[in-house]
Amino acid sequence: MEHSLGYIVGIVVGILVGVGIVALLFKLKVMDLTFDERQERARGQAYKYGFWTLLTCLLLYGFSDMVLGRWCDVLVGAMLCIAAALMVFASVCIVKDAYLSLKEKPRTVMTMLTVVGSLNLFIGVMNWKNGQVVENGILTFAAVNGICGAMVLVILVIYVVNYLLGRREAGE
Amino acid sequence: MKNLRLKSARAALDMSQQQLADAVGVSRQTINAIEKGDYNPTIKLCIAICKTLNKTLDELFWE
Repeated sequence: MEHSLGYIVGIVVGILVGVGIVALLFKLKVMDLTFDERQERARGQAYKYGFWTLLTCLLLYGFSDMVLGRWCDVLVGAMLCIAAALMVFASVCIVKDAYLSLKEKPRTVMTMLTVVGSLNLFIGVMNWKNGQVVENGILTFAAVNGICGAMVLVILVIYVVNYLLGRREAGE
Repeated sequence: MKNLRLKSARAALDMSQQQLADAVGVSRQTINAIEKGDYNPTIKLCIAICKTLNKTLDELFWE
């Protein structure tokens, strides 16, 4: 599917603005991702699992493209692989109690995940209703919001389950 | 192997896991993991815990 130059520039500017906002939040110390030594170690293991998941998914995506022919935009295929790797990374971090930094509060993170997940899923559903997700049998870039929304909500569910189990354990 | 000496030293000072974690700059889950024997802390963290609980390394971590 061909996109206009304005569309592509819009996406690039959006990404740059997003990166800029996150960088500013770090600079102002609003976001502080400081982890202790056990968490750093656990996150290292999680990165490893995420990395291998990404490689496997990219291989499977390339293989499927070769066997089945074009079934999605390249960027969507890449996003699917990234989403799978991020889900594995986040799940391992959550299970090992290394997802939140020392200064993050569980409720804040759960709220943020709910908002981001719901918003993306909502946009994804709207795109689906407008018939933009699949065009000529090919999954288009409009599917990315739905993929991100689903990924974030899966991470949220894993987080909430782990949080409730942890609270029960702490209470015993 | 569970570190019951750490747990009892903490309890003797009437500290919660969270309070000890805040004092040494780690998460509550890390203190819990050390007490349960699921995580071997670095010497740096061991020393910080010992200083906070007024104990020696031998008293808390030497078998």
